[in-house]
Amino acid sequence: MVKHFIPKNLEEALKYLDEHKTTIISGGTDLMVQRRNWAEIPPLFKKDVVYIFNLDELRYITCRNDNLIIGANTRMSDLLVHLDVPELLKEAIYIIASPALRNMATLAGNIGNASPAGDTIPILYAMDAKVKLMSLDGERIINIEDLILGPRRTAINDNELIQEIIIPVKEFTSSSFIKVGGRKADAISKVSFTGAVRVEENIVKELAICFGAVGPTIIRKKSIEAKYQYITLEELKENIDSLVNDYSEFIKPIDDQRSNKEYRKKVALNLLKEFITNL
Amino acid sequence: MNKITIYLNNKEHSFTDIPSKRLLDVLREDFDLIGIKEGCGEGECGACAVLINGRLVNSCLVPLANAHQKEILTIEGLSETKQGKALIDAYSAEGAVQCGFCTPGMLMASHALLKKTPHPTDQEIRIGLSGNLCRCTGYNMIIKAVKRASIEGDGLW
Amino acid sequence: MVDISKRIKKVDSDEKSIGKAKYISDYKMEGMLYAKTLRSPHQKARIISRTYPVLPKGFYIVDVKDIPGKNFIKIIYEDMPVFADEFVNHYLEPIALVVGPNKEIVLEILESIVIEYEVLKPNYEYNDSAINYHFTKGNIDNARKEANRVIEYEYNTPYQEQLYIEPQGMIGHCEEGQITLVGSIQCPYYVKNAVISVLNSHEDYVRVKQSTVGGAFGGKEEFPSLLACHLAVAVNKINKPIKLIYEREEDMETTTKRHPAKIKLKAFIKDNEILGMESNVGIDAGAYIGLSGVVLSRALIASTGAYTIDNLEINGDVFITNTVPNGAFRGFGAPQMLFAVEMFIHHIAKELNLDALELRQKYLAKQNDATSTGGEFRDPIIMPEMLEKVLKESNYKQKVKEYEGTYKGIGMSWFLHGCGFTGSGEATHIKALVKLEKDINDNVTILIAAVDMGQGVKTTMRKIVSNILDIPIKKVIYNNPDTNHVPDSGPTVASRTIMIVGGLVARCAKELKETWKNNEKQTVSKRYKQPSFIKWDEENFVGDAYPAYSWGINVIEVEIDKYTYEVTIKEGWSAYDVGKAIDEQIIIGQADGGQLQGIGYGYLEVMNAKNGKIQQKNVTDYIIPTSVDAPVLHTYLMDNPYPLGPYGAKGAGELTLVGGAPAVALAIENAIGKVVTKIPVTPEYIMELVNNE
Repeated sequence: MVKHFIPKNLEEALKYLDEHKTTIISGGTDLMVQRRNWAEIPPLFKKDVVYIFNLDELRYITCRNDNLIIGANTRMSDLLVHLDVPELLKEAIYIIASPALRNMATLAGNIGNASPAGDTIPILYAMDAKVKLMSLDGERIINIEDLILGPRRTAINDNELIQEIIIPVKEFTSSSFIKVGGRKADAISKVSFTGAVRVEENIVKELAICFGAVGPTIIRKKSIEAKYQYITLEELKENIDSLVNDYSEFIKPIDDQRSNKEYRKKVALNLLKEFITNL
Repeated sequence: MNKITIYLNNKEHSFTDIPSKRLLDVLREDFDLIGIKEGCGEGECGACAVLINGRLVNSCLVPLANAHQKEILTIEGLSETKQGKALIDAYSAEGAVQCGFCTPGMLMASHALLKKTPHPTDQEIRIGLSGNLCRCTGYNMIIKAVKRASIEGDGLW
Repeated sequence: MVDISKRIKKVDSDEKSIGKAKYISDYKMEGMLYAKTLRSPHQKARIISRTYPVLPKGFYIVDVKDIPGKNFIKIIYEDMPVFADEFVNHYLEPIALVVGPNKEIVLEILESIVIEYEVLKPNYEYNDSAINYHFTKGNIDNARKEANRVIEYEYNTPYQEQLYIEPQGMIGHCEEGQITLVGSIQCPYYVKNAVISVLNSHEDYVRVKQSTVGGAFGGKEEFPSLLACHLAVAVNKINKPIKLIYEREEDMETTTKRHPAKIKLKAFIKDNEILGMESNVGIDAGAYIGLSGVVLSRALIASTGAYTIDNLEINGDVFITNTVPNGAFRGFGAPQMLFAVEMFIHHIAKELNLDALELRQKYLAKQNDATSTGGEFRDPIIMPEMLEKVLKESNYKQKVKEYEGTYKGIGMSWFLHGCGFTGSGEATHIKALVKLEKDINDNVTILIAAVDMGQGVKTTMRKIVSNILDIPIKKVIYNNPDTNHVPDSGPTVASRTIMIVGGLVARCAKELKETWKNNEKQTVSKRYKQPSFIKWDEENFVGDAYPAYSWGINVIEVEIDKYTYEVTIKEGWSAYDVGKAIDEQIIIGQADGGQLQGIGYGYLEVMNAKNGKIQQKNVTDYIIPTSVDAPVLHTYLMDNPYPLGPYGAKGAGELTLVGGAPAVALAIENAIGKVVTKIPVTPEYIMELVNNE
């Protein structure tokens, strides 16, 4: 018999997680679909369920030491209207899902669900975001790329929950998030592109490129980015074909009911070209 | 089973129930609020839309636990208000209702939009309703209706 | 007397808006049981054995053994079983119903049923023809001989899912000695007749009522008869009320869809003249024929679209494959064929280096021309005026030249839709009967079997009667049809409701007006009589396939992203001749909605099957346009009254969908400068075309 626990505060939640095998549910926009049952009977949960959405202790947006800190329960729609949230992240959130879903979905939920098509995740990669996990044993901070292990798999331990997402403040001079879905709203990504640069005195000082929905996890290759840093903007544009070629071998999408691998790969690389060309 | 309290259409209700139950089912079955529809069960079509603490949500995705101690407004509540009546009249004047299955959810989304943006552009209306699917109307008359409500109901939002 | 076209407030708008209108899943009954369908996991198999678990009290399994009458759904072609007996022929074919008061236990029982199968080899190719139609017009052999050039293309069209926002559902129960079915349906008498057949009962034993329908588009034309038969057999066995509502995925995977089609068109050309055409059509019926023969008929009859071609050879097949059975969807064979014809006339023009618009105008059908089946276009065809209006408003001529290959495009389609049942259906099968009943308070009730599924029939029928009798519309009553109270005026399909049924209602109203007696009970009824000049030879496809035709022109403008190949539908302009609009706002609402469905069919809605299984089985994966995708559409309604329709009205329900796909496809062709031969024209397809140098 599955038990249901609605903790009154964070401490109660952590204690419960420590003592039971659980499924943590926040906004529910992913889990309530995945565990769907016949209408009028409760969803199919196999482990005890812990409902953390009402924990306002986990709902905050603050700045601390050149970092933007986002509490796990912060709604996507609240991130859209907060002044300190970077434009790049807002761009991604703005075209995720729909108004109603953005009112319930959380950034932490998007991370915990670890879908290859999760739209905020490539932004978090590009911004070198970290995630703070907490449990009764204490806290730990983990890089986003080490937290997400594969489709629907994360390095979160059974007794842990996501407390907050830490996003270093970046001074990108130019950034772009392009989502390619089946239609203009309310669509699952076929492929997404995130590009961000910091150009100072015509030199490319920082470059971040991420591809979403074209692999089991987000594709970001810091080794390739390093090759094209500390060169002039013109040199970067001149070497666009070589840049595209470097990424080509790492973009390994699949065929599924939404699209095919040829399209996903070509469009991913087209978007990279478009971004560099328009800098 | 947990004790749950909700403020539904301005009335307080306390009861015990399974916290994972979909709010959609609780409202339809236990409170006979049939205006809330199930079109897909995946949060895509918006036919189940309600407002929780003033925000538009898809009730098929809301576990009852998340509605605990919250204010819930359904179409039954909205249609009793001046804003609801302005929207319903505008929808009628513009011919925006065909089969009607998407309509209650569409009205909830329209109301949520006007609360945020009392004088939206056509594009803002389209985006505000982007989570509500309609198969009958092609949306144009619905967009006109929301525009009309924002003009004729000026001051209500 | 007010002009009937002038819009009025729809009579059911408010009750739907406030959430009081009752759809089938809103009904609750004392002691109601719930049913779930046990389905085949195989695409083709023989059932060797069934092992049912011991059932707790109050739970039941209903299967073929419980059928008192015939184990097939009475549709036009009777081959779809109610419950699978020895064989299953498609994935998820229904085998049994599990019924009980507790849904969790019903699911447990469902999971514990063990069926042993001998798996057989399924077929998905277009090679098992169940119906073949073949006809000619004029002298096609001569055309072939005289031709000095042959232009040939193959076009492919996919599944399209109706995606009514309200999933299918019904309730069955016993009431006052009758088995009563209530549900989301288009055709109460189709359902009644199907249930009578499966129960082998007297017609008075069965009652069918329509609940508010949340969209249908043809998807609830014949399919609900299967639900009804399932419930009727169960209620007959169990004698308790039973509710059967499909979940969305179940609905998408197992209910009827638009037939996929392969269409080969050949034109015989001599010195830039189209001497004749050959058309070869294959449609995929899925596992059972159902009404596929009629879909094929309509498609074949539409072989020349809006054009007159003197010499034709038309051939078509209904192919059986081990996939979900297909059925009615707004347009009913015409959208498939009109896509092919409209692309073809453009492709011919391209190959002959002629202006496509001029070529179209040359072959545009005119009044008194012979139709594709040697009948006659008896009524005025005002396409030239419609064309002038649309060309002007859209600036088509300038844009089509300017845009060529620029990733911006504009496309145009011309089309027609035959109103009413194909061929002799109205006269020989339906024989519609309508009734008006006046009570002592001078309220007039319209008694017809027509269903309002959003198209506004409740408003327009009441308008017709109120207008003719010159009484306020609130004195005209039109309730959801109940077969205990209404005669069989035929199904709500084929764009026949206003023209045929409304025509009869109007004549009843005129007679009532002439014989009106204040405060007295009166009844007037009329039955459809085919006008004597309509002659149709069903076997040879010769004569007047339809009594009347509605006409349309669509222009769509698009823009394509050079990097992602995504299509934006920018704007649309259309002209429609539906004779006379009984309510202008309602017709424009139909135009907005129908055209968006046609546009979606053309560029956005992807549904395919792999190994006989539908791949896009939920609303997340099967993409229909949202409000952000939908363009602004400008609709121009023309005045061209049809003498035999009420106030001059012809059919409108399907017309507005059938031209959307070719208009979009031609716009995309214009934008990318490549030949398009299939729909939907997805970004993936565009990329393929653009990259194949």
